[in-house]
Amino acid sequence: MAYLITFHWGWLAGGLLLGLAMGWIAVVQHGDGLSRANMQRAAALVVILLALAIARLVPGRWGYWLDLGLLMLGAYLVGCVCGSWLRDRFISRQAPIA
Amino acid sequence: MHGLLKWSRKWWPGLVPLAVLWLLAAWYSTVPMEQDLAASATAAVKSDVLDKTRIGVAGRDATFSADAFSEEGRRSAVTSVESVAGIRLVKDDTRLVAEAKPYVWSAERDVVRVTLGGNAPLPAIKARLLEAARAGLNGVEVVDRMTFARGAPPRFDAAVLLLIDQIARLKEGKIVLSDKSVSLSGMARELGGREAIFAAMRSLPEGFTIASNDIAAPPYVFQANKDPVGVTLTLTGNVPDNAVHAALAAAAQRKFFGEKVVDNLKASIGAPRGFAEAVTRALGALSRLSTGSLVVSDREVKLSGDALYDGAANQIRANLGNELPQGWTAKAEISVKPAAAPVDATVCQQLFTETMAKGKIQFDTASAAISADSAGLLDRLAEIALRCPTASIEVNGHTDSQGDDAANQLLSEKRAQAVVDFMVKAGLPPDRFKATGYGSTQPVSDNDTDEGKAKNRRIDFLVR
Repeated sequence: MAYLITFHWGWLAGGLLLGLAMGWIAVVQHGDGLSRANMQRAAALVVILLALAIARLVPGRWGYWLDLGLLMLGAYLVGCVCGSWLRDRFISRQAPIA
Repeated sequence: MHGLLKWSRKWWPGLVPLAVLWLLAAWYSTVPMEQDLAASATAAVKSDVLDKTRIGVAGRDATFSADAFSEEGRRSAVTSVESVAGIRLVKDDTRLVAEAKPYVWSAERDVVRVTLGGNAPLPAIKARLLEAARAGLNGVEVVDRMTFARGAPPRFDAAVLLLIDQIARLKEGKIVLSDKSVSLSGMARELGGREAIFAAMRSLPEGFTIASNDIAAPPYVFQANKDPVGVTLTLTGNVPDNAVHAALAAAAQRKFFGEKVVDNLKASIGAPRGFAEAVTRALGALSRLSTGSLVVSDREVKLSGDALYDGAANQIRANLGNELPQGWTAKAEISVKPAAAPVDATVCQQLFTETMAKGKIQFDTASAAISADSAGLLDRLAEIALRCPTASIEVNGHTDSQGDDAANQLLSEKRAQAVVDFMVKAGLPPDRFKATGYGSTQPVSDNDTDEGKAKNRRIDFLVR
């Protein structure tokens, strides 16, 4: 993990920034987004992929690409959480007052 | 928390560019990362003693194949690769180097190269053996055909280093070490090399034995070349010791009265029995040739060249083998020199005088038996006589004043007759010769000194 983060920090930073941007937008975006069922399916897919990665069941390059994808997804989600939280805390809540 | 869940439903559109980013990352980083991991893994096993090491990396999974020299070494190497940061899985294709039974090592030398083959226990030992071979063989190509195997006997390297030293002493041959027994075959490079190898084998480490030792000595060669153009006799090759060397050089001086003797002989051990006698006789035969070469190799004498006339050629062919010591063989390839142009009696006399000025017919002490050393001189005299077929030749014998006059008279007559007999045997008609003895009545020098007496003991030729 440490090696992957060290070797791919640029790509992970890209994922994180993308997540920040997406999280920032998501707070004020209109519409309902994914349905609860689709969210569950997506979560289940991620869990399955995580299980495969942790169990090291996918060999060679495919295994590496899975690890990389999950790591980038993790960075993206962290970015999304941070982006949404920041927007909500510092901008969205202050807007009505202004 | 509720807000986060609500927002998270709207995060999915970012997954599309994330997927693109992931594809780009996979495209650009896979190969560099694999190379980085392979380099790290190779560095990790550098200190391990392995052979045929190969590390392949696909993604973060490494395939590690190598031949290890012990189970501990094999495990240690696999652990080293597993502990490289970034490696996820290691496919262990390592194995132990095969164990050889019997444990065989060999060194073979031919004309141009030395080939080291068989088994070696460790890379460091193999490298040391190659280095020793290259240093000891000084310029000779060394080919490495050794393969690694476990099961070498204790002190294997010490024994093999000793054997590599012996390969340098061989001209060609093979040394094989099988477990602890050594087999040697081939031919030593120099005379004395075989004995040196025998002596060195006593220094083999304890427990090592000689199974067979078939090292042959190189032929013991003596050569003599008679060059009529340079008027030289060149002696090359080996003689057993300084005494024989001096004796052969003296014999050459006596037998080759007109030639300058160039002595390039060197003392070497290993001469066959009867060497000095055989070479002396063979030199006598060579002295009778106009041009020729003598090669004595071990117990074989090869004489080739041109005799001065038919009779001499026949005598040399017939006698050479008989004159040699028992066990020696002779091969004479004698042709006859083209006959020189006939000359008249005056020129004939001049030729006799010139030849007799260079050499002297020698007889055994107080005897009429012609010394074997004078065969070459007599052949030249016979050749001269053949060039003037119409001339009569008086052969006159003289003695010094030592001893009884009557005895000297008789001796001088017999010696003159012996020379005539030689001429007749050479194929000249007896009626052309007249043998006369003068005893000590016609001295050419004083009889008070040994030198003067030697001058007075002579044979004169008078052509009419």
